[in-house]
Amino acid sequence: MSTVQDTATATTAPPGLAERLGMTGGAAALRLRFVGVVVFQLLLVVVFTAVAPRFLTWDNAQSILFTAAILAIAAAGQTLVVLTGNLDLSVGSIMGLSAYVVFDVASGAPVLQPWVVLLALLVGVVLGAFNGFLVAVVQIPSIVATLGTLSIYRGFVSFYADATEVTSGELPRWIRTLATESWFGLSSYVWLALGIVLVVGFALRSLPWGRQIYAYGSNPRAAYFYGLGSRRIVIGAYVGAGAIAAVVGLLLGAQVGNINSLLASGIELQVLAAVVIGGVSIWGGSGSVYGAAFGAVVLATINNGLVLLGVQEFYRLLFQGAAIVLAVAVDAMVQRRVQSAGNRRRTLGVTA
Amino acid sequence: MNGHLRRRRRAVVTVVAAAAGLLLAACSTEAPTAPAAGGGGETQGEDASGDEDMKIFMAPKFTGLAYFEVAREGGERAGEELGIEFEYIGSDKAEATEQIATLTNAIPQAPDALVVSAIDGDAVAPALKQARDAGIKVVTYDADAAVDARDLFVNQLSYELAASTMLDAALLNSPEGGLVAFISASPTAPNHTAHVRIMKELIDTDPKYSSLSYVDTVQFAGDDATKSQELALNLIQANPDLKVIISSSAVSAPAAQQAIINAGKSGEVFATGVALPSSVRDFIKDGHSTAFMMWDPAELGYIATVAAHQLVTGEITAEEGQMIDAGEAGTYEVLADGEVQYNKPLMFTADNIDDFDF
Amino acid sequence: MTLVRRYSSELLLVVLIVLAALWSSTLSPYFLNAVNLLSSAQFFVIFALMAFGLFPIVVQGEIDISLASTLAVGSVLFATLSVEGVPLAAALPVVLAVTAALGAVNGLLVAYAGLPSLAVTLGTLGAYRGLAYLLAGDAGVTGITPEYLLLGSSWIGIVPSSVVLALVVAALFAVLMGTTSFGRYSYAIGSSPGASRMAAVPVRRTRVIAYALAGAMAGLAGLVWVSQYQSARGDNADGSILFVLTAVVLGGVSIKGGSGRALGVLLATVLLGTIQTGMKLANVPGTSQTLVIGALLILAIGLPQAVHLVRRRFPTALPRRAVTSGNA
Repeated sequence: MSTVQDTATATTAPPGLAERLGMTGGAAALRLRFVGVVVFQLLLVVVFTAVAPRFLTWDNAQSILFTAAILAIAAAGQTLVVLTGNLDLSVGSIMGLSAYVVFDVASGAPVLQPWVVLLALLVGVVLGAFNGFLVAVVQIPSIVATLGTLSIYRGFVSFYADATEVTSGELPRWIRTLATESWFGLSSYVWLALGIVLVVGFALRSLPWGRQIYAYGSNPRAAYFYGLGSRRIVIGAYVGAGAIAAVVGLLLGAQVGNINSLLASGIELQVLAAVVIGGVSIWGGSGSVYGAAFGAVVLATINNGLVLLGVQEFYRLLFQGAAIVLAVAVDAMVQRRVQSAGNRRRTLGVTA
Repeated sequence: MNGHLRRRRRAVVTVVAAAAGLLLAACSTEAPTAPAAGGGGETQGEDASGDEDMKIFMAPKFTGLAYFEVAREGGERAGEELGIEFEYIGSDKAEATEQIATLTNAIPQAPDALVVSAIDGDAVAPALKQARDAGIKVVTYDADAAVDARDLFVNQLSYELAASTMLDAALLNSPEGGLVAFISASPTAPNHTAHVRIMKELIDTDPKYSSLSYVDTVQFAGDDATKSQELALNLIQANPDLKVIISSSAVSAPAAQQAIINAGKSGEVFATGVALPSSVRDFIKDGHSTAFMMWDPAELGYIATVAAHQLVTGEITAEEGQMIDAGEAGTYEVLADGEVQYNKPLMFTADNIDDFDF
Repeated sequence: MTLVRRYSSELLLVVLIVLAALWSSTLSPYFLNAVNLLSSAQFFVIFALMAFGLFPIVVQGEIDISLASTLAVGSVLFATLSVEGVPLAAALPVVLAVTAALGAVNGLLVAYAGLPSLAVTLGTLGAYRGLAYLLAGDAGVTGITPEYLLLGSSWIGIVPSSVVLALVVAALFAVLMGTTSFGRYSYAIGSSPGASRMAAVPVRRTRVIAYALAGAMAGLAGLVWVSQYQSARGDNADGSILFVLTAVVLGGVSIKGGSGRALGVLLATVLLGTIQTGMKLANVPGTSQTLVIGALLILAIGLPQAVHLVRRRFPTALPRRAVTSGNA
């Protein structure tokens, strides 16, 4: 994944590192933040390799990447919203609702089975748009609005499900086999995650929709004066996040097999943790989907390594919590360094 | 502006403080006058004949889980047969505070009995004691509360029988034995903790299970399917010679089996333990797994409700040695500490999985 | 008139409480019973204490989602000390100091290291929960001595002592935020941290104090937990932070900081309590309870917001337009 990132930077900004640093502090910070997560991950790998003999094997790496896949996709969706300086706490409820309702409908109407992804997209767009409406039009703070829809969407799915399960036999056959498939030595989910993250990353970087999200997030007022319709941008981000959450809900449903109305409840904190570890600023405007996806890999690595070491659940909670704080702290340090370095260079450039 | 504001706040503060002060001054004798529930249970004097106005509430750990729903059906059936009012109450959040609120608010409605699966057996105890003080009979099923907080505990399986049946299921999957790992629900669920402890003891001491060995650290998935899958995968990585993952959580066991299939390890590693037949039917039919176990939750709910009814009518008083006649569901003896053991484990295999419709 | 305007959000809550009470009494004949109502109120004391702790933090424009985990550390510590035979008078300061220290760690990370509070407390949410499990061990702690249970098992007249405690705490927070320099600083920081710093407001210190105070309040809630439920486990109050946050926000405390009053938080807790009690007494299924709380949150925050927006957009439609754009 890092190679992809490197080529991307190489094509967009041909000059050397120093000049890039000097030219745009913000962009450099963004890149270095991503480096921060990678360094953190490498550290984890080194530590776990040293203490857990079976950690550094291809088989284990496959396993880590597979468990990270779902969270990575969900984190990519969340990033869209976080970049605008908002939050989507309803992500787990959207995932659960989409998985249960879509698979339940499809099991009753087999003609729909090839189209479940489209159905999920529809569900996600509607739920995301409602979130966006509440935040951008009614102007309810995003934490409050999505805290409310977290309950409403979850309430709806448990109402709809009425305590029954969609069992693995009722799922469309193709998506069930997809969950078990492996392409080029990696689970299909890992490739899907990679694909979705790259597409979202590309869209953010290259499409007007994405660039506006960054612009709006770094300075909403400036974006407004610049003539960027803030409502459209925020709603767009929520719609994108909702669609991604709904699709990843399907994938999670297929992975789990038996789906009940509680699927993915509470996952929002994990998703937020991945985003934050990945160096996406909770204040909006900076960070990348690649970082967020990497944050998911970091979390999966911690969980994996601690089970390999035979560590108890209690310590896992402690470690994970500490890792989040540490990642944010490293991030803030890098950020400050870069900013001051950028300022220095700029002043140097002026005096020279 | 600021002073104006402050004056207003001061006014509010004075009012609130005065109110609190008044309360304190008015009656500061702290006499624990236990809040008496509206009516309390119907008197025990009446006999089985006139039960039309008898009311029994069933409170699962939380609503929305298929397992509890099946138990509810059993309770409802008992309610119909006995001609009593049966109500299913609870929150869809798996939190102790929610269950306590549910139970506390059940008391003023004066049901004659509560049938409860305790999410935190100690924390709900005061609420249950309060119910008993108000004359309400309390029967726990599935997960017990503190002994002095309930009249009876209808245990689906004695912890020993549950443990040995799960190990039997493990041996059905992996006849030559091998390494076993445990995924439990939460470190604070006494039944899950007991299951694991006894399974470890049996592997250590019972020659029948001597071909098995176990990973000492127990992992916890909190009845969460996603978490169970991640743990299953990581356990497989941590222990290359792992043969069986056992979980007494009806969510974790099927989820772990699905994770094994997803990872392409089907046939090499098996998950087993407690599971609803509907959630493992496909695994067993497709040959991914040979055996899962459970009991009939509907019958468990039925027996618990019948026992509650008999407590209310006075047919039994929860004394050791008394018999509970649950008709077709069988007759059960009250053991020490008011425990009733249902003890009918079901082993689901390819031969019988189609016989079960829950 | 200005009084009505200033307390409009509190008035709305009062109206909603009355409506909720009316609705509840039609739902269930058991609702209108003073003794039952008061004993139900006891149940919400734990959330109310955490909500009051969270209140100044939110006023300062920050957040703390680790409070429920801090509560668990507090409850487990109290229970352990009780079992060890430590008198309550000695245990209380110890536990409050420990939980205040846990809160202060959050505060230091936010105020001095400059880290985003949501991220920091997301981390400590897990870490403190792990700590509580470590302290409690597998089985949890039971066999609490009567002295520790007094708060949860005594009544002043017909009012449970813990409810009185919550009211006293409410009054204290009203005084704290309404009359002290800490309160003034908090509103200033919430409105504009930059300007506050320039105006020589001790921004960092005020933040740390708020977090430490919140930690102590969670510790106090831990004591109430132990006294009411006569036990403690590592998973105590897990998941309740969403309810607490709902209470604070519903109470008219702007999540963006700079506004909100203790009275509002109290009223919001009462409102949520009324609705929950009513629905539970009427045995409304759990799913509908979740739906109602979610919808209530959005309506209670969204409706005034929508009215405000409509007023701004069509100033001529309504004569009075003197709505200042700032928060209080």
